[in-house]
Amino acid sequence: MKSLTLFALVFGGALIFVACKDDEVVVCEDNPNYLNITVQPVFDAENLYLDSVYATAEGYDVKFSDIKFYMEDVKNGSSNLIDAALFDYRSRGTLLLNTVGTPDGFGSLTANLGVQSLINHNDPAAFLNTSMLNIVNSNDMHWGWNPGYIFVKVEGKVDTIQDGIPLFNHNVVFHIGKDENLQLLSFSNLNWQSTGVDYTLPLKLDMALFLQNGAETIDLKNEYSSHTAAGQEALSMKVISNFRNAITVL
Amino acid sequence: MKHLFILLISAIFFLGCKKDNVAHLTTPYTLKIPSHFPPMTIPIDNLMTVEGVELGRKLFYEKKLSADNTISCATCHAPSNAFSDPNQYSTGIDGIAGNRNSMALINLGWNESFFWDGRSQTLEQQIIQPVINPIEMHEQWVNVVGKLNADVEYRNLFYKAFGSTEIDSLQAAKAVAQFLRTLISGESKFDVMYKYANNLALSDSEQSMYQSVTPSEWAGYDLFKSLNGADCFHCHNGALMQVQKFSNNGLDAVFTDLGRGAVNGNANDNGKFKVPTLRNIEFSAPYMHDGRFSTLDEVIDHYSHGIQMSSTVDPLIEFAGQGGVQLDAQEKDLLKQFLLTLTDENFVNNPNFQEPE
Repeated sequence: MKSLTLFALVFGGALIFVACKDDEVVVCEDNPNYLNITVQPVFDAENLYLDSVYATAEGYDVKFSDIKFYMEDVKNGSSNLIDAALFDYRSRGTLLLNTVGTPDGFGSLTANLGVQSLINHNDPAAFLNTSMLNIVNSNDMHWGWNPGYIFVKVEGKVDTIQDGIPLFNHNVVFHIGKDENLQLLSFSNLNWQSTGVDYTLPLKLDMALFLQNGAETIDLKNEYSSHTAAGQEALSMKVISNFRNAITVL
Repeated sequence: MKHLFILLISAIFFLGCKKDNVAHLTTPYTLKIPSHFPPMTIPIDNLMTVEGVELGRKLFYEKKLSADNTISCATCHAPSNAFSDPNQYSTGIDGIAGNRNSMALINLGWNESFFWDGRSQTLEQQIIQPVINPIEMHEQWVNVVGKLNADVEYRNLFYKAFGSTEIDSLQAAKAVAQFLRTLISGESKFDVMYKYANNLALSDSEQSMYQSVTPSEWAGYDLFKSLNGADCFHCHNGALMQVQKFSNNGLDAVFTDLGRGAVNGNANDNGKFKVPTLRNIEFSAPYMHDGRFSTLDEVIDHYSHGIQMSSTVDPLIEFAGQGGVQLDAQEKDLLKQFLLTLTDENFVNNPNFQEPE
């Protein structure tokens, strides 16, 4: 009888082991490292906030309501970091991209400011949901009227009447795209900052520099709108060139 | 001892295998997404099932969701009106009217926020609210759950959809959300025009529809997309005919409804409302967040001559300073003809979207 009891316990134990295999402890893989690139918009020395008022070199009051841009084909030589990243200050804050990886091999980076012609005119619904080029993610950064992506979008209002009354008489709308305006960004000697298991590369976007880049000044009184349409070629190129030069490593 | 042995073995079988005794199977639901639409992101905790959609459809038309059992979701979101309300304001069970027009329920699976002021981030969150809103269904979810629990058909439907014998409000919201995600409209004449304009392949039936597009409709489409024409495309863009943003489209110089600004407390968002899709606009009158315009002609007139300046008016309304885009009578007619190409009869008449038998 003793042996029968022993058998029952052993048999029962085996049954429990088999029946409960779903509850086995799963050994998780180590948490992966993530790489973040952030972009802090500034106006000269101070952080820039949307809808706040800043004074241009000409003495105009300007407030920005939207700042967005695409950074595409982000890589170091043959090491790809991400296909495309979308900066959207209003919706996503300073985060440009967040992807699994380590800084090894990314001491330098190149990227397109915009979207290269090879994919710029593809069906925006055909990109994977995870891609920032998918129309759901690109949202208003894709043109229906001129199939392709808006590379850089800056919107706001400017008060060019210096009478102390905050009328903000001009809308500021720069929507720059089209293949011929694609710009190349290049960053070297990068110092990824460790934040625990993740690493962050902080960039900055100086909107004062954007407006006043040496001789290439954007005078918002007269140059406040471009949709990269015919007749707007010169201003479009100036806007995106200045924008490129305004992005630097923080 | 023999009895002890049998008891022990029985207990072990019972304890070890009880998980398998309540195995519950559902049937995955495949959404019919048009080829020129992006994939829809489905929340991982509310995957689409045939059973969930069926339950959601029944709940959408269920008047027990209201306190006096007189109105359902469909009362203010009628299929024949592109799932909106032909009245300027919807009236709740207590005879109290709201101050906003019911939004059309179209292609919601691609939306990032819900309600005119975007106060809900998910469909599941949104669905909870009208039931408890005192000027809408004015009911408590605990009562709704009680009424549904008392109905054997619902008990079975909930069990089939969620494998639980305990009905709750979250399951109800999930089921309705599943049904709403099936409300996809992408078979209008505009869809053919969009695909053609974007060099996307047309099916045989679409080729046939393409042949029926009139020169006036194409001219209206050109105006719609023209920076110096109607300039509509900034907010009504892409295959979905909307972008995910909040905008002040120049309705008022002084706001009586703060819209988005009332939700987030940001004065820079005062007077801004969610940009709606233009799909099936023929059926979704009246227009704007407060239903102030009864006809498409009034809408076109507004953007043409009636823009009101304010501190938050959308910078993309570039001709706001002169009152609008200044369309002449012929241009207005062309634009209207294009807007009517957004009608999708297959959508409003889809038998799968109607009240179940």
